Parts: sequence; structure tokens; C-alpha cells
Amino acid sequence: MKSEQWLAERTFHHSNFWDIKWLVEEKQRQGLRISLCLPTLNEEKTIGQEIIILKAELADRYPLLDEIAVIDSGSTDRTCEIAASFGADVYVSSEQLVECGTHRGKGENLWKALYVLGGDIIVYVDTDIRNIHPRFVYGLVGPLIRDPGVHYVKAFYDRPLAYSGGLRPTGGGRVTEILIRPLFSLFYPDLAAILQPLSGEYAGRRSILEQIPFPVGYGVETAMLIDIYERLGLNAFAQTDLDRRIHRNQETVALGRMAFGVLRTFMKRLKREDLVQFQNELPSIMRQYEVGDGSYRQIEYEIEEIERQPMIEVEAYRHKFHPEG
Amino acid sequence: MTVEAPERVRHLPEALLPMRERLLANLVMIAQIPSPGGEEGQRVRFLLDRFAEAGVGDAAADEVGNAVGRLHGKTGNRNILLVSHLDTIVPATLDHNVTVEADRVIGPAVGDNALGAAIVSMMPAVLEHLEIELDSDLILLGSTSSVGRGNHAGLRFFLDHLPGKVDCGICIEGMQLGRLNFFSIGTARGDITCDVHPEPSRSYGTESALVVINHIVNRILGISVPSRPYTVIRMGKIRAGVAYDIEPDHAELGVEIVSHSDEMIDQIQHQVEDIVSEMSARHAVDAHLDLFFKTRAGGISFSHPLVKQVLEVMHSLGIEPDQGHSPSELSELIAREIPAVTLGISRGVKSRKKSPDYVLIDPILAGVAQLVGVILAIDEGACDEV
Repeated sequence: MKSEQWLAERTFHHSNFWDIKWLVEEKQRQGLRISLCLPTLNEEKTIGQEIIILKAELADRYPLLDEIAVIDSGSTDRTCEIAASFGADVYVSSEQLVECGTHRGKGENLWKALYVLGGDIIVYVDTDIRNIHPRFVYGLVGPLIRDPGVHYVKAFYDRPLAYSGGLRPTGGGRVTEILIRPLFSLFYPDLAAILQPLSGEYAGRRSILEQIPFPVGYGVETAMLIDIYERLGLNAFAQTDLDRRIHRNQETVALGRMAFGVLRTFMKRLKREDLVQFQNELPSIMRQYEVGDGSYRQIEYEIEEIERQPMIEVEAYRHKFHPEG
Repeated sequence: MTVEAPERVRHLPEALLPMRERLLANLVMIAQIPSPGGEEGQRVRFLLDRFAEAGVGDAAADEVGNAVGRLHGKTGNRNILLVSHLDTIVPATLDHNVTVEADRVIGPAVGDNALGAAIVSMMPAVLEHLEIELDSDLILLGSTSSVGRGNHAGLRFFLDHLPGKVDCGICIEGMQLGRLNFFSIGTARGDITCDVHPEPSRSYGTESALVVINHIVNRILGISVPSRPYTVIRMGKIRAGVAYDIEPDHAELGVEIVSHSDEMIDQIQHQVEDIVSEMSARHAVDAHLDLFFKTRAGGISFSHPLVKQVLEVMHSLGIEPDQGHSPSELSELIAREIPAVTLGISRGVKSRKKSPDYVLIDPILAGVAQLVGVILAIDEGACDEV
């Protein structure tokens, strides 16, 4: 499938899946279990609202979700207490798969979720969303339930920036438009059709997620796209417009560090596929600068992009999910 | 209510526990829909969707935009009205996103009256969950144009145009749990506006509408107000001017008269009108009193069986009753001689200057249980005996 054809046929709007009752019936007919993973680190302002709405609408009212779990990176606020009080299963990431050690980062939580959660489909939803709505889940699982050929669904949004006329920008965000889409256009042109490759909401089948490595830090979303693409091609993807998403805005310097991490993940894959060669290992130090009172200060950030092996290679996981070997 | 009723009510909060997240989700979703007076459409849609999903018959918006649903009872021998106003005093431009903490829901107007609206929207599901089937028809109403200048227009239209009669009414407010209002204090609200004449009449008058409003304030403060019957004149808002160096040519003063006596309200209203007319003439300005809201004092007596039953339900649930008058929709029901009470669902705080509104989560189930208990009492005849 060409990317233009894919864009036309595999780009949905969440309203395409408004009939949650049908989704539940079809899910049950296919014998699927669906797990929601909410990765957290100090999200006490928004986690309660997310769990209440998603649990009430998609577990209590319509049993689309079979489990709702928070995988926490060690919050020091009341995130875990609030999540548990509204009925979510709460797991501290460092206490899971202890034999594999622990790293800090969202990707670590997403990776361990594969072991902790039982679903055939895993839905990942960030926990800084201020306007949470059930569409953030049913819009993502809809294509997976409707079409067995879809293995991974990515969200995109309307970012309410000023625009005129009938066209609107893709709203990919600064790192996407300045870094990711140019890189995709150079090395993985098909993937450039994914409108918001860095969005924090996506859903995938366990059967593919367990096969790919997970960077623990900034690069996890980019790595997922490339690694699934290399295994299954563009046809495995779909994307859904979830309308507006209201969340915290990040400062440009923070986005710079994010871009550095993503770039390292990207380069690692280019090297793995022999698309580029480096004479030396790439550095893991990101340098940023502060100016104040006539003085200049260099700040060095160590941004390692540690990668978790594919979960299928972890013995405890195989024992739990593939006991037959 | 039967002898077993208090025991039945006591267990309701526990029985409602599985509904907690759904109730809270409804509260959050409604609170996040801006709904200033005249722009309640999205909240109306929300309620109607909930009614439709719960299989409520006749769910539709009426001519003035109220959300109306009728849950048919086994015999339909009574009509019980459950009403909650959908409009708020919060402008649509304010961030309506809500924060949920372990013990509270925080956001604009969550208590007044997103929580009340959420409970009305969920009542069919609550009754179904509790496997309660009423004999009476339960009319669910999300009313529009209630607060401020709306003057309960939605509810008034509904009551004046409903085929058949309402036998008993319950007005639901988000706060405060324990609130038991069964009589309405008389209220008159109006805005006094003052506009300075254009030149040349200013030469013998004043050049500042603010100064004239100040004179009016001083004169109103001079009105003699009795302590019995209870009567109060409130001047709650004033607006004039745009800059330090420009004398305003327009000023407004918000005035409210409340009293247990309708005659006293009428008397003070005439005095205020006289003051405004006099000041208008003396200072050569256009000053007017625009009285846009008026309710009559009245209600059911303390000995009314409905009041007794509500107190019994509250006692069963360990709710401390706070009896008093209400400026809410209650007055419209009372004016039509419909036995009615206003009940609150939870505890919380509203309209603080530096902190957002919030409602506490824990008391909500008791508040809903109380409502169910009172509906059951009415269904079993609490309003029939007078």
C-alpha cells in the first residue's frame, strides 16, 4: 500500500468508532482482552480524572477495557494513592520484573506493562491530559477491533493554533515538524504519513509489541514506529484523529533534550539497518546553555537511550504468556 | 414510608458504591461543559443522551431548551419532579477543566450546579442499579435560564406548559448535604442603572454617574428595615467607569430585597423606586430600577409529611439537617402550590476569590441515597396525606 493510499484508507476520526456497544460485542466475539496502561510520574492533578472517566465509561458502563493499570516511575506526590482510590491497579515499575533491574523513564513503564498486563491489546494513554474523554481509548482500539490486519494505532490531534481556510496544519508539534518528519522523509518515507509520530496515545497488539525493543526514554515512540514498520510494513498501522488534546506545554529547552534522545534512537536504527555508518560511538551528552547577568553557563545532560530487549526474550514473560514454549 | 424504610435507606450508600465512578465521571464531564445562562445547549444534550441510553421515555428538549425525560412508573398515579438547573454564573471563557483528587472534585461551579445536574442525569441508572421500580412517573428536568436574570424561566415555562400536574417536587443542588429547604423566602432582585445626560444639562447636574449611584446607595442605606419579619436589603454589586481620569457616564448597582413578608418586599421596592426617581430628577440623570427577579414567600409547613419523611431519611443516613429557606427553584413550585423541598448532595465550597470551587467525594453516595429515600417516600404517599 502506498503511503497516500494508506493515508486515505487508514486514517480515521474517533467518531468512526462511537458505537462502543458494537466494539464490546465484536471484542467479545473475537475473544480479545484489552488492557489500558497509564504510565505516571507525579501526575496527581490529572490521574484521578482520567481513571474516573475511562473506568466509568469503558469498564463499568461498557466493558471495553478488561483492566486499567497505572505503571508508576516512583511518584513522590499522591498519584498512586489517587489512582488506587478510584479503582485502578497500581504497579510501581521498579517492583516489577526485578530480575531485569530497573531504569527510569516512560519507556521502561511501557515495556514492563507488557509483563504486568494481561490484554491481547495494550492501550497506552499519557496521564497529563486535561480534557480526557473516552474517545482517547475507543478511538485507538476501534481500528484494531474492526480490522485484524491493523496491529498498531497512533493518535493525532487538533492543536488549536491559529489557521485559516479549509486546511489545518498537521499539528505534529515542534520536534515532529523540525526533526522527526524530515528524518522519516529521508529514511522511512512511508512513516512520514503518520501525522503525529510522537503522540503519547497509541494501542497495539501484544503479538507485535512483545517482538520489539523498547528504549526506556524519549525515543520509545519513534522506535516503536520504525521497528513495527520493519517487521510488518505500513499496512500494519492506522491513525485516529482524537480532536483536541489539552496538556502541559513544554519549554523549548526541554524539547531540545527530547530531540537529542529521539535522534540517538533514530541513529541507532539507521546504523542497525546499515543506512548510515559512524566512525565512533555517538556521545550521550547533550549540552545546553544559560545566559544571565553577563555570565554564560554550560549545562551538560547525560541522555542515555538504554533499550530494553524485546519482551519475548525475557524468560519470566515467556513463562507467563507462552508457557507452551 | 413503611416501617422497614429506615433500614432500607441505611444500606443504600453501600449498595450505591459500585456506581461511584460513574457518578463522578458524570460530574466531571458535565462540569467541563461551559454553561452560562442562555448557552446550556451542550449540557442539555448530555442529559438527553444519558436519558436515552437509560431507556427513559419522552426524552427531549422542550421549547425553551430544558432537558426533559419521563421515567414511567408502574401505575403512573403520581408525577414526581426532580429538577436541577443547568446554567452557571461562570463565563464560557474560563478554563472549565476539572481536577479530581482523592477526596474532592475541583473546578468552576462543580457544586453549583454540575453535581446536581449529574445526579439528575444518573437517576435512571441509579434506580435500575438498585432494582427500584416506582409506581409514580419520575419527571427528570435539567432546567435552563435559571440563575441571575434568567429568573427560573426554564422551570416556569415547564410548569406552566406541562400536560397534567406535578404532585411533588425535589430541587437538587450540589451543596450542601443536609440542606432541607421547604419554604421560600420572598426575594426581589434588580439593577439600578444611571446614565448621565449629554451636554448641556450637565451644567446643572452632575458629571459622574458614579456619584449619583453613591447618593442612591446612601439613601437605600437609610431605609428602615424591621427585624421582624426578617428582612434584608443587600447591595451586592456595583459597576462604573473605565479609567482614573474619565468620569463615568454610566453606572450600575445590583440590589436584592429578601423578606419573610411579601408586603415588606413590596413596601421596600416602592421606597427604592421613589429614591431612584428622586435622584434621577435632582441630578438630571436617567436612573431606573429594573426589577428582573421576584419570588413570593411561602412553602409547606414543618409538619408536612414530606418534611417529616425527609428528616427521617436524613436521620437514617446520619445526615445532620440544616433547615432554612431557599432562593432556588423551590419558589416556582411553591408559587404553584406544589409540595416541594430542596436537597443538597455533598459538601463543598463555592465562589471563593482565590481558590477554585470544590465538592467532597465521600458524602456524595449519602446524598444520592437520601434522594432515593425521599423519592421512595413520595412514591409511597408522603405527599398524598394533606
